This record gives sequence, C-alpha cells and structure tokens, in this order.
Amino acid sequence: MASEPRDRTEELRSRVAEALPDLDFVLGYGRGFDPLHATPVAVRRERDVGRLIFDPTCVQNLATSLYGLSGKRLGLVVKGCDSRSVIQLLQERLWERENLVIFGLPCEGVLDLAKLRVAADIASVKAVRFEGSPRHGVLRLTLPEGQGMRDMEMESAGLLADKCLRCRHPNPLVYDYLIGPEIAPQGEEDDYADLAALEGLSTQERFDFWKRQMGRCIRCYACRNACPLCVCKHVCLADSREPHWLSAEATLQEKWLFQVMHALHLAGRCTECGECQRSCPMGIPILLLKRMMNRELKELFHYQAGVSLDAVPPLHTFLMEEDRIKDRGLLW
Amino acid sequence: MVDRYLADSALASVVAAWALDHRVLAPVREGAAIVYRVFTEDTHPFLGRPPTSSAKEALLPQTGDLFTYLYRKDRADLTRTEVFLSEPPPPEPTLILGPRPCDARGRHLLDRVFLERGVIDPQYSAHRAGTLFVSVACTSMQNTCFCHWTGGGMDDESGSDVLLHPLGTGGADGFVARAVTPAGEKLIAALPEATAAMLEELAAARAAAPAPEAAPDLSAVADAFLAMFGDLDFWTDQSARCLSCGVCTYLCPTCSCFNITDENSGMKGRRLRTWDTCMSALYTLEGSGHNPRFSRAHRLRNRVGHKFCYHPREFPQAAAAPSGLEFSCTGCGRCIKSCPVAVDIRGIVLDILAAAAEKAEGAP
Repeated sequence: MASEPRDRTEELRSRVAEALPDLDFVLGYGRGFDPLHATPVAVRRERDVGRLIFDPTCVQNLATSLYGLSGKRLGLVVKGCDSRSVIQLLQERLWERENLVIFGLPCEGVLDLAKLRVAADIASVKAVRFEGSPRHGVLRLTLPEGQGMRDMEMESAGLLADKCLRCRHPNPLVYDYLIGPEIAPQGEEDDYADLAALEGLSTQERFDFWKRQMGRCIRCYACRNACPLCVCKHVCLADSREPHWLSAEATLQEKWLFQVMHALHLAGRCTECGECQRSCPMGIPILLLKRMMNRELKELFHYQAGVSLDAVPPLHTFLMEEDRIKDRGLLW
Repeated sequence: MVDRYLADSALASVVAAWALDHRVLAPVREGAAIVYRVFTEDTHPFLGRPPTSSAKEALLPQTGDLFTYLYRKDRADLTRTEVFLSEPPPPEPTLILGPRPCDARGRHLLDRVFLERGVIDPQYSAHRAGTLFVSVACTSMQNTCFCHWTGGGMDDESGSDVLLHPLGTGGADGFVARAVTPAGEKLIAALPEATAAMLEELAAARAAAPAPEAAPDLSAVADAFLAMFGDLDFWTDQSARCLSCGVCTYLCPTCSCFNITDENSGMKGRRLRTWDTCMSALYTLEGSGHNPRFSRAHRLRNRVGHKFCYHPREFPQAAAAPSGLEFSCTGCGRCIKSCPVAVDIRGIVLDILAAAAEKAEGAP
C-alpha cells in the first residue's frame, strides 16, 4: 500500500512514540482484515507504533472511540472532519482538552466502500494501490486470478465519500501535532444538491423513497453507536421501556421514529462526519436527515457545528429575539 | 436425483411459479446492499454475490407475535379479570432463494437451539417445517470467508433443499440445479435435465478453483477459551474498537438470542419475540440495574465464547468441523464484512489460541 508518502506515516509514528510515555494510549488506524479496510488500534507500547497507518482507507472517525474513556489521558489521530467532532465534544464539556493529545492529519479524502462495492466486486481484493492524490489520481485493485475477475483501475475521485467532495476543512481545526503540510480546501461550498433532488419529489414519492430505504433497517443501531456525538448510547430512548416511545418491533414506524429522534438530537451538533451512514450495513442514506437539519441551522443561526472552539453552539445559548427567527410581535 | 438446468433467462419465470404457492424471499440489489425482499413480478433476484443479510430471517423473523392477549372484566364481580390468549396464524409456506451454503448450514445450528434442547419451540418449528432453501453454491472465497474452518465448503449441500451451481461467472450462463431433499426435487421437477457438457464445465470450474488457505487447527479452541476466560485485560484489548452495535449478531446466520416484550394497548396486547444482541449494553441487564456483562469486553467474550466454546461443549457428539468440534459459526464472515470498525472474529479466535498456549507455557 504505497498511497501515502512513506515519510508522513513515519512522522506520525515518531510523533506518537514521542508522546506515548505521557499517555494511557493513542487511538489511531491500523490495517484491517484486507487491504481496503482500516481498523482502529489502541497503541499502548512503543513497539506497537509500527502498526499505525494513514491512507484513504482510514474512514472511521476515531472521535467516536472517545466515548466512555473520559478521565484517561489519550492520544487521538484525526483527519480534518474528525477534528470537528472533537471540537463539539470539547464545547459540550464531554472531554477535557488537556487530557487529549491530538495528532492531526491534513486529508485529501477517504474512500466510500459502498460506492466501490457498487462499482466492483471488492470482496476478494488482494492488493490496493492509490496513484496520485485521491481527488485526481487512480485506484488500482488487484483481484484474484483465474476466477473471471480482472484487475481494475478506476479514477479515485468518484469513489471518495461525499463529504470529501464538499470538504472545506481538510486540515484539522484543533491539534497538538500537525503531520504533513496543510492543504487547500478540497470541495466547493456545499449547495445541498442532494437535498434539493429529494425535495424535488412529490410528498408521496418521498414517502415511498423512505419506506423503501427504511425497509432495509435491521435496528442494529450501528448508526447511533458509530456517531461521535450520540453520547447517551446506553440510555437511549430507542431502547427505553420507560418512557415507552418505541416498541421492540421491527416496523417501519419504529425505525423511522428513531431516525427522526437521532436527527433532532444532532441538530446544531452534527458535523456531518457521515459515520451513521457509513456504518449502516444496509446502506440507508440517513445522513440526508442530518444534513436537512444542518441546512436549517445554517439558515437560521449562520452556524456550522465543530468549526470553532470559541463559538457558542446555538442550542447552548438563548436570545430573547433571534436575528433570523420572525417572532417579533408575537412576544408578550 | 437428476441434475437439472435453470437457464438465467428462465430464472424469473421459475421463481414466479414457485411464488404461486410460497412466499418467496429473493435477494435484491439495493445500492451497496443485497437484501431479501418478498418476490413480486417487479422483483429482479440477484444471485451474483452473497446477500448482505443472512437467511436467518426466514426461520426466525426479527419480530413476531408469540401470542396476543385480551383482558376482560367480569361484569358480576369487577375485582376479577379474565385473560384470553390467542395464537398467531401459522406462517405462510416460504421459499428463500439465494442463501449460500454457509447460510443453509446455519439451519442445523438454529435447530440445535430451538428443537434439540428438550424444549421444542413451536413458532420456530412451524417456520422450519414450512421453509425451503434454494441456495447458491459459491465459486470463490471472499476475504471474509472461512466456512472451511467450521466444516463447511463452497458447495456444501447440508441444510439446502436445492443447491444451484452457477455456470459462467456468477451464473451468467445459468445454473445446474441439484435437489438435496425430496421437497427440493419437487421444486425443480419441471426443469430440463442438465447436459453432460454442463456437468463437465462445472467439474472443471471446481477443479480449477484455487484451494482456500488451510484452516488452522481449532481442536483446542474451546479449552483455550476457558483458559482465557478470566483474563479481562485480554478481552478489553480485543474489544477496544467494538462499538457495541448489533451488526454482527443480526447478520449472523446462527445467532439466536431473543428478547420478549409485551406491547400493551388498553385491555389487550401482544407478546413479541424480537432478535436480541449480546453486544448491546442492555443484554442481560437485570431488573435491579445490575448487569453481569457490564463492559464491551464481557459482551464480546460472550459472543466468541458462545460460538467457539459453549456450543461445542454442549453438543460434544456433533463433530462437523475438521477439528472435531461443531461451532455455532458457519464462517460466512458477515460479522467481519459489515462491522463498521472491521472487528475480525478469526483474529480473535487465533489470538485466544496463541494467548492460551503462551499462558500454558508460562505456568509452572
């Protein structure tokens, strides 16, 4: 896997080795079960530093792994987008900045394995090679011989996660070590074209769309558990018998209600890291719901979550009269 | 039994004929997922890759009524309430198209739980008796496949009623249909016989398929697991990346844990059975608030232990796997493939063996 300049991985490893003595452990990426999968690894000893990797397969947002670990002193490897989740966690005082050592990696994009799975049968891929930058380069897949499969070469831009195509923050916004040079914003300003496409449908068509999509849901709650900001995981209303808002049935109604709840709880907090959608084994486009909330937030409060540590999230404060909410005249 | 030929072009009409007297669950491609949907005339079954979901849902639906109940006040004595129970209607005859041999083998493992432990589960039993498996043989091993570790194989027939052997890449030239049970034979009776050339092609493709990497010796895994059971550091390390979601267990063809809840609505209600997942923090949470499996480490240990230790110890007479043990895992690899953080149960099993061996060496 020679996608990433060797020296950047080496720099990451040596920075982690430097910081490790003062830390309980460092959360980073290691190679998963095949060349297309990365997996989170906890580096506790210097001899494990060599397991760390960084390339466009490093899709997970490791800020999620911070859940349940507060009180420890940790190192965390973040991409630009992941750093926004960290900022939100810090703003909500769910973590203390002084207990985190952040290794920031400017990132040109990560793969969307769902897109790749539609484009090719990747289940038996033997080797993966990125040539050039993720946005302008190619991805070469080596497939096993003699099974009617051919090695493939694809432009990698079409295989990147959607969030990467509209990424305005490729450089981590909070870090202690910056590994590698900063890069320019990757994408255009977000025009919410995906939402517009959906909203162009009639109400009945949209209803049918979601019925079909949610019909696949198996209620595994990977979306919830992979979300770095779903911080009441084990006392979730989705599982609660008291109040008994959702039953245990696998009906559309229950599945949908949970997604609405998730989107509302994330309003003004969601950084669109996309982990909910990426983690869904059934490929349900649930990020759309969060994006819809975020677009409203942007319009109403001119606010984007996780962009600045000093900003006050709109739902953390209260104004008698909001600038862009027309409630004047309705007040007593 | 005669080998028959199912042409790719005939697939839709053959399935439509099966659907006349069965509820047919057929794998359909929806984006990156391949899911079972009830077959209708608009359905295009996709048999080219293993489905994302396992076939378990045909035998053990994600939710189902165990019974419905109705309370009625006694008009003469209002302190008395009578309760009336009614059983749900029997399941429709079902045919599931497109499971892989690893899914079909899962049937036997679910039987162990629901039919062979002294108590026969009536609902499961009814689904089991009324469901036919028309499976598709595999032609290659994916990176997540390890059926041969558990006694399975790419063209293992156990658990299937009909096994379809693809001709050409992914069945592009149709399938040789081989009946495994009398019920399966009836299903394919109207198909033309397969030609000798087709059978030759099939045999040649089989011979040419690369052999999977040799399976490790797992004969000591149940004991090794017990040796590592109390080493919580080991399990904490193994589970550090786990998100505690239910992907692995819900996609598993053999995970059989369920929860029972009542859904009340005034004086009536339903008692439901729903899939449960041992990865959830709520699993084994007791009414007192105590949970004997309070951490991810405890819960992951339970999943691995159930499959590779408790099951083989409970059914020692069943020796299906090459290592002489029957595991409650068929090596389908869905828990690996769909895990958001790429937890690999094969790696955990090998780590158990290595750590237990190290421990034994270190012991005086």
